[in-house]
Amino acid sequence: MAEKNPKNLPPADRPLECGECKKTITVRYTEIVGDTITHTNMCADCPELLRRLHGISPSEQIYGLTGQAGLACGNCGTTLEDVRRGHRLGCMECYEVFGDVIFMELQSTSRLPARLLTSKKTVPLHLGRAPGETHTISPSSRLLALNEALKETLSREDYEQAAWLRDQIKALTEESPSSQDKAEDQGKPDAQ
Amino acid sequence: MPNKHTPLLSKESPWEGNSNTIWLGSTITLNRNLEKYKFPGKLPQDKRKQLISLVGKELLESPLLKKPSLLNAEDVPHVEKEFFIEHFLTTSSFQEARAGEAFVLDHSSAFLGILNVGDHLILHQIDCSEELEAAWDRLTKIESKLNESLNFAFSRRFGYLTSAPAQCGTGLVVRVFLHLPGLIYSQKLDEATKRYKEENIDQTGLQGDPTEIIGDIVAFHNRFVLGVTEENILSSLRTLTTNVMIEEKRARSNLKQEASSEMKDRISRAYAVLLHSYQIDALEAFYALSLLKLGVDLEWVTGVDHTGLNLLFFNCRRAHLLCHFSEKIVQQDLPHKRAEYIHQTLKNITLHI
Repeated sequence: MAEKNPKNLPPADRPLECGECKKTITVRYTEIVGDTITHTNMCADCPELLRRLHGISPSEQIYGLTGQAGLACGNCGTTLEDVRRGHRLGCMECYEVFGDVIFMELQSTSRLPARLLTSKKTVPLHLGRAPGETHTISPSSRLLALNEALKETLSREDYEQAAWLRDQIKALTEESPSSQDKAEDQGKPDAQ
Repeated sequence: MPNKHTPLLSKESPWEGNSNTIWLGSTITLNRNLEKYKFPGKLPQDKRKQLISLVGKELLESPLLKKPSLLNAEDVPHVEKEFFIEHFLTTSSFQEARAGEAFVLDHSSAFLGILNVGDHLILHQIDCSEELEAAWDRLTKIESKLNESLNFAFSRRFGYLTSAPAQCGTGLVVRVFLHLPGLIYSQKLDEATKRYKEENIDQTGLQGDPTEIIGDIVAFHNRFVLGVTEENILSSLRTLTTNVMIEEKRARSNLKQEASSEMKDRISRAYAVLLHSYQIDALEAFYALSLLKLGVDLEWVTGVDHTGLNLLFFNCRRAHLLCHFSEKIVQQDLPHKRAEYIHQTLKNITLHI
């Protein structure tokens, strides 16, 4: 995380991210000791920032926040501090041990749909398929998107793009007649 | 017969014959881990090798892959790994992959299995026929077949478990690469994405950087991997890309009608740079190729088609160039070799401005 040489900093047009947890940078900490200048880019809740500003070690800070000092996965040795810093997890049991912390991290990095942010612990967050489940996605979803776009294009009286969309729809329905049937089943009778 | 650039890939390449004007391609990635094994970061070397032989064997026997082959990372030269990253448009940087990591390729050159890099298994598929659903379907069938003999790490709460929590859940990341010079030069890209981009989609440049757009190529991918269904992911990307493509076509149509001196100047300069530079770096080449591709679409440039230019986007990249020439090229000669290669490919083009 610490960069001894300021030349190693990423170019200004790239978003800076915390070298430890990948959150957006909010603090640039510069330390001058003798001839050495150390620049460190950190997010606001970085345990490293607290340690540097107040001399509090990350484990003390975690203890202060969660009361779970020294929590580690018994199977692979991954610690709570590793998880909070965004390091990779070590095994599937980490999800049992650090489930709530992982949930909070996903929440703070906006990796969850808004409707799941207030969900209870017992509610599964996963909505997709499970092992052994077969799931086919109808190719008509492409047709639905094209039909929706066609409606909007026609409402804007952009006939050039509407003609392009119609060609695409035609090519798709000629390729697979069953796709159109499915689109119609889903309440889109204007597939052509 | 081997690929003309690298013997590790077959001659058949999905990028050959890609004549798309806006949708350059898409990638689908599924991340999976096996139960009972620690994730690769904590897995001892002997177990990593055991896992490669276990998963590798299943992939090599998969009836859904065309003549698959397994390559141990330590046996693949650095430049070939970089070639894979360019060819498969991956965002994971596995050019440093070492012993205990491996790749599975098949004869289609559209599938890549990555073993023990971050997760035990990453299934990656490229597509350039705008068939996201079909590409996803193919990958899921390969995964389901593997699941008959391998148990994947899964929990009811977090779905498929991955070493990076941001990829747990479906484990599915879909990325669509669109070439949008019309919107970019009309300064309407932000307006278009604001209008159509939902909260579940992120936007980056070609190499995964959110702010650095290279060659006017914008990559859209799903931000949420957990808490959404596979169908949601595919359909929201499908809706966004359809709408953005229409906006791009509209912008190009306006540029053609306006035929502004500024735009003509840009395309003429791009033509000059590509045809007359003695040496050219990859970024500058991408910038100029993008304008030339726009020029072809506006019918201001002839003598090259979209297929040829789409291929050049790949072939002028570092590893593709290094693999193309049979002789060894030192780093400082590469910009000159790139310029020569581009001159050769574009020798028949004519500017009509």
